[in-house]
Amino acid sequence: MSQSSDAPVSSSRRKGGGIHAGERRFAFALTMPGLLVLFLTTTFPLLYLIWSSFQTINLAMPFLDGFAGVDNYVQMWGDARFWHAIRLTGIYTTTSVVLQVVIGLGLALLVMQIPAGQWVFRIVAILPIVLAPVVVGLFWRTVMLSPNFGLVDYLIQALGFEQVNWLGAPTPALISVIIIHTWQWTPFAFLVLLASLASLPVDVYEAARIDRANAFQRFWHITLPLLRPAIVIVVIIRSMIALSAFAAIFAATGGGPGTASEILNLYAFKTSFIELNFGYGSALAVSLLVITMVVSGVLFYLRTARHPGTKT
Amino acid sequence: MNVYRHARLLRTIVLMIVTGALLLVWVLPLIWAFVVSLKSEREVLAYPPSVVFEPTWSNYVDALFGSFSIVDSLLTSTIVATATTVLTIALAVPAAYAFARLRLPAKRPLGFYTLATQMVPPVGLVIPYFLILNRLSWLDTYHGMVIVYLTFSLPFAIWLMVSYMEDIPWEMEEAAFLDRASRLQTLWHIVIPQVRGGIAVTVIFVFLNAWNEFLFAVQLGGNTVRPVTVAMYNFVSVEQTLWAKLSAAALVAMLPVVIIGIAAQRQIVKGLTVGAVKGGARK
Amino acid sequence: MKKDKHNNQRPGTGTVRRRTILKAPLAAAAAFAVPGLLIGKAQAAGKYMNLDSFRAANIDWRMAKGAKITVGVIPAGYFQNLEAVMSDFEALTGVQARLEMTPPGQIRQKAVLDLSSKTGTWASHAADPMYYMLYVANGWIDPLDNYLGDAKLTDDRWFQFEDIQPGHRGATSVDRRPYAVPFDGEATIQIYRKDVYDAKGVGPADTLDEYAANAKTVHDPANRLWGCALRGFRGAGQNMYIYPSLFRAYGGEWFDGKRVVVDSPEALAALEYYVSLLNSYAPSGVENWNWPDIADAFGQGTLGSYIDAHGSAAVVANPEKSKVVGKIGFARWPKGPSGKRVTSIWNWSFPINGALSKKDKHATWLFAQWAGSREVQIATSYDFPGAYKRTGANRGSLWKDPKFLDLMGKFGHNYVKAATESFAKDTDPDWRPRLPQWPAVGDTMATAIQSALVGQAKPKEALKEAQKKIDQILKV
Repeated sequence: MSQSSDAPVSSSRRKGGGIHAGERRFAFALTMPGLLVLFLTTTFPLLYLIWSSFQTINLAMPFLDGFAGVDNYVQMWGDARFWHAIRLTGIYTTTSVVLQVVIGLGLALLVMQIPAGQWVFRIVAILPIVLAPVVVGLFWRTVMLSPNFGLVDYLIQALGFEQVNWLGAPTPALISVIIIHTWQWTPFAFLVLLASLASLPVDVYEAARIDRANAFQRFWHITLPLLRPAIVIVVIIRSMIALSAFAAIFAATGGGPGTASEILNLYAFKTSFIELNFGYGSALAVSLLVITMVVSGVLFYLRTARHPGTKT
Repeated sequence: MNVYRHARLLRTIVLMIVTGALLLVWVLPLIWAFVVSLKSEREVLAYPPSVVFEPTWSNYVDALFGSFSIVDSLLTSTIVATATTVLTIALAVPAAYAFARLRLPAKRPLGFYTLATQMVPPVGLVIPYFLILNRLSWLDTYHGMVIVYLTFSLPFAIWLMVSYMEDIPWEMEEAAFLDRASRLQTLWHIVIPQVRGGIAVTVIFVFLNAWNEFLFAVQLGGNTVRPVTVAMYNFVSVEQTLWAKLSAAALVAMLPVVIIGIAAQRQIVKGLTVGAVKGGARK
Repeated sequence: MKKDKHNNQRPGTGTVRRRTILKAPLAAAAAFAVPGLLIGKAQAAGKYMNLDSFRAANIDWRMAKGAKITVGVIPAGYFQNLEAVMSDFEALTGVQARLEMTPPGQIRQKAVLDLSSKTGTWASHAADPMYYMLYVANGWIDPLDNYLGDAKLTDDRWFQFEDIQPGHRGATSVDRRPYAVPFDGEATIQIYRKDVYDAKGVGPADTLDEYAANAKTVHDPANRLWGCALRGFRGAGQNMYIYPSLFRAYGGEWFDGKRVVVDSPEALAALEYYVSLLNSYAPSGVENWNWPDIADAFGQGTLGSYIDAHGSAAVVANPEKSKVVGKIGFARWPKGPSGKRVTSIWNWSFPINGALSKKDKHATWLFAQWAGSREVQIATSYDFPGAYKRTGANRGSLWKDPKFLDLMGKFGHNYVKAATESFAKDTDPDWRPRLPQWPAVGDTMATAIQSALVGQAKPKEALKEAQKKIDQILKV
């Protein structure tokens, strides 16, 4: 995580084990309450989840219940719908996060140039995030995207394009849920990057201008590298959220049509709560957990590897 | 000189218009939601969508004072979200300081553990939580709900705060130490004021996550603890969806968070400087 | 948590019982303190109905006094009316019953979670009749014969359980044992634009082919009028609510011995009819439409006809929501090639959670009885003071009650006849396959139907896929 142990410390801190021990105790005392709460509230559920994934628990056929070993995982490996869900999850997460960063950065760059009244833009930008995901899903489904009834449909036709059956056809459905998710969460990237831009030092740009660097060069060689830590953080956070997105998609398409928008999270929910096959559903949830850990781990490693000297 | 200033002014105005237009398009669905909330139910799905109609506030009246009033649930959401936020900040800020700045035994494993607890998909947690809360007779109680919410707020908050803590220049703590300040005093008087922007950001997002949470609210709550995300379904029944009232209710439900956002505006800008170069200019 | 075979006596309930027993003399003392005149008044008339008519039953309504129960329901007009009159239940029995409105997409999960973990959170809930096989297979709910047959708990001369629609009682029974009291029931019927049909010189369809022909006749998308619509949304309770009627109308049989067969020629014919009908004459987007969306579209005047629950009449005939009030006609389901008309037998009913204490079970039984009683049915439909009046009365006698019929007649042409005949003649207990694995089976079929509709698979392949999956579900 952090490399504070590499930071320069004054000689007084280096004195003997006594001070360090005191610091360790203090540090421990600070973290204990929070970690204790976390430990108490997450350990049992996590263990229960993992345990269930090794069981057969099917409410519809209780006579089958019992220890299953790795059967659930074997079944998962051969389950085409599982791989389909993983593919969709990958597309959904990657596309949405990339869009969020690109659009967010673009908007931030634009808004940066506005000298006064930035706060209005910030307030307006935050609104989509505040709307409850459930309502977002419902609203987009009918009032915005419904063919022949929705606003988007009307605007598209008014602009002369062909009608699209947004949620009724497989590919548009996936595109739609990506749009909905991106729409709601890009403002997060926008706000974070805007603030980062706001705190970039002016002198570096001055030097660049003196060296006759044009706007694009300034952006590419100065702004972007300085923004990299912020961008990476946004990517990490947004990825974790996208991997476990649920409410909006469920309300908008329910995973459909067919299984066209059924990301892994949704598939696990359906298996556990609609098919009542808790054992298998738990296995799916565990695999989602593993994927999330791997992705976060990779991104995290990239974050620290790029800037070995930075504390971020 | 005049020409230069005029050109700059023109450029700024054009920029504001373009950006304003872009943002307007971005929040068009919300604007439309507001328009819908002023319509009668009949008008909502009229096609082409009507922009000229007789506006009415009756949907807001119904949402707030009618038989399906969401006022109670607004109160519930406020209690749950506020309690969650307060507890989260109280636990996360000290912990983040320890992770970021102090020699914490087993820092890496503990840090990773904190991160990992947040990665469990909520879908997999519903059943265990239901069983546990039931054992403790904490189903449909405020404390039960807040404890559950803490599990996804804490890691997020700790992680966010660690980044802000790492941003503080070492010199400040050094100076405090040389002045013989205790570590606790350093934390309280020096570090926290420096990261108050970061705390403001964390407060906003923790509050927001708790406010908008749905799955646990439905399964683990009940008649006593009925946050507004559940109450909004009063307008979505199997027979029909009352779009106008739903929009009114949803917009009203957004207000508390927006108010907090506006209030914390200045702090947020200061606080969102994550990982940027230190000593930068501030707008 | 050890429980005996009958799920009585959980640790902790002893304490509760002691507390409530202490409360009883206190409550009695308080009651005596109130001026006698007021007591007399309160006892005779509840706020919404005359409590004396309940007391005519030869049971002790106050046997579970002091109990507190929670009943899970969905936000819907019929339950909201029930909630409005709940104070009368407490006045009558001394039982505090609260309805917990749960989003419809979550209620089954929460009920199953509660029942399976035996937490007793919900004493009862508005149950999906297709879930009873699951509940019974797991022993989660109590069979009602003990309650109905116990003279201390039920006075059948008064309650008249047999008065409740036989189709609905069948749907809430397993192996001929009743497990719940139906509260609100519905049948699916044809709903059409009488003005448009009259103008084109056609009447409501008698056969499925006629139905398609009618849709073709009135189909005019250029003027925003589409021929017809049926539920397209994928779900065991959504598109699998309409398809089974087609399936049975084509003569399909769900079971072949113990095996569930979904790729029979009849199944294919029904699916092909559904797909071609909707692809030709329904608005695009129908694959995502559930009942409210269809009602919305019809109310906006964009549909020639649809087939769905008779309760939707209340929506499309509501001037606050609909533009076609006064132009609506109703009829029974069209016949299929097998000569059968098959309507749905959906109802919301109240079972008794097996994990409760004895007192709470009695309290729940009192609630179920009360809600299913003639008085409450009347009080929540034509006698209800609010704007929405229930149309899904559970009792056959009510469907002959002139005041009820008067209310029904207002919805449109032929409404009463279509609804009552559907209830009487078109209900089919095997309309959907009744087995504990219904949730998974229903969902699999729903996916197949929607895949066929959106063109993701041809009907034949979709059904074959579904058959494979169902075989897997039932074997495993």
